[in-house]
Amino acid sequence: MTIRDQHITQAAKDLYSWALRRVPDDTKAALARAREAETNETARKTLNMMLHSASAAETADRYVCSDAGIPVFFVRIGSQADWTANIKSAIRAGFDELVETIDPPLLKHVTNPLTLERGYHGKDMPIVTFDLIEDADYIEIICSPKALGSGRWAAMELFTFPTLETIETYILDVAIKAGSQHCPPVVMGVGIGGTFDYCAKMAKEATLREIGQKHPEKMVADMEQRLYEAVNALGYGPMGTGGDTTVLGVHVNYAAGHGFTPVAVAFNCWINRRSIARIYGDGRIERVE
Amino acid sequence: MRNIVLPATRAAVAELKLGEMVTVSGPIVVTAGIPTHHRILDSIEQGQPTPIALEEAAFFHLGSYSRETEEGFEILYMNPTTSTRFNPLMPRIIRHFGLRCVGGKGGLDDECARALKDVGGVYLSFLGGGAPIISSAIRRIRQVAWDDFISHYRLVELEVEALGPLTVAIDARGNSLYRNLDDAAQARRAAILDRMAQQRPGQ
Repeated sequence: MTIRDQHITQAAKDLYSWALRRVPDDTKAALARAREAETNETARKTLNMMLHSASAAETADRYVCSDAGIPVFFVRIGSQADWTANIKSAIRAGFDELVETIDPPLLKHVTNPLTLERGYHGKDMPIVTFDLIEDADYIEIICSPKALGSGRWAAMELFTFPTLETIETYILDVAIKAGSQHCPPVVMGVGIGGTFDYCAKMAKEATLREIGQKHPEKMVADMEQRLYEAVNALGYGPMGTGGDTTVLGVHVNYAAGHGFTPVAVAFNCWINRRSIARIYGDGRIERVE
Repeated sequence: MRNIVLPATRAAVAELKLGEMVTVSGPIVVTAGIPTHHRILDSIEQGQPTPIALEEAAFFHLGSYSRETEEGFEILYMNPTTSTRFNPLMPRIIRHFGLRCVGGKGGLDDECARALKDVGGVYLSFLGGGAPIISSAIRRIRQVAWDDFISHYRLVELEVEALGPLTVAIDARGNSLYRNLDDAAQARRAAILDRMAQQRPGQ
């Protein structure tokens, strides 16, 4: 046996559907903690509605949000995995199949940036990127549907030999610019260093990290905590109508670079859509999240 | 929690307090499309009525999946979209029709708040990611217009019951939670940066 196109297609189709219907456990737990800690009554009620919406969607097997976003997949191939598949086209086939069969149907969100026409298909869609996992015997696929609501507030700047103060001030100002509008409380992903493209990828990957999991290096973990407190002190609150909870977590990833230091910030809205599956050589698809 | 019966009177809406949570019941008009707003503005320009009357209406930035069946249109789900991208288009629409309630998520800017003040209207904030809650308030579809557009860009009139809870985020006097929160965040910025500097290891 080997991992074939049909396994990848099935996983891509399932992952997208799962991500639309279920708020991840870490996110629900973080929302529940925030509800206990909130001092603002409207904010507490809003967090309560969020938890209610998440559980209603799960129970009824319906979408949490009407905006299904665009399909984004991260594929991580185990170096010991046994596979013979056209992974990219198999994922595209999975999304096409999903669009034709999913109930209720999706709204048309895939947008041609040059004509603004919207449909289910488009150039380079789904967006698929690849990485490797050493010594693993499976292919892991992460699905992260992305929409305008929180997507449009991502930002990036290039600094030369910045101090930590410059970097952190920039990140706070990006949070102020997003203000009430990205369906807070959000997860904030930050990338620092590397190159232009690699930095953006780090920020995006940081949004996918489990809430509560700190960066392994103390200096970075401290920075995450500092930024978490700082952004929450701004007071935008759940749905941006005021409160103590604007972020559920700030996750920072960094890489060495040259003296030009890109800093990228990306957001996931409160439903924090992500789903993860592993595909093994015998064709088994394990739902990780 | 107060329930606002639609169409709402100016007096009923004037009573609503900033930050208060309410539900609404009655007819509402929804769309999530920029092209839809342009078509509304074209109707105003040409002195033509819109296919669904908007005078003193509740007009919300909600995207919905509608499809035609033998019994007419049905709505499968509905959820708010970001209102701020309609900022440049809304003041004229608010003033022309005297919109009583507008809403969506993320708010509207100061110029829209001034327009709401002029006509005695409010902005109601919906729960983003609230499709199960929001969709369950739909009682029937009254009209679907401009069905040449993709589903969420159509102009749809619905009958809802106890839609919400919704947060009054701009009141009928033009007071805006969004303006207040932005001002408060800017005012706190320096102190927040100071605290971060104290916590940061020396460089």
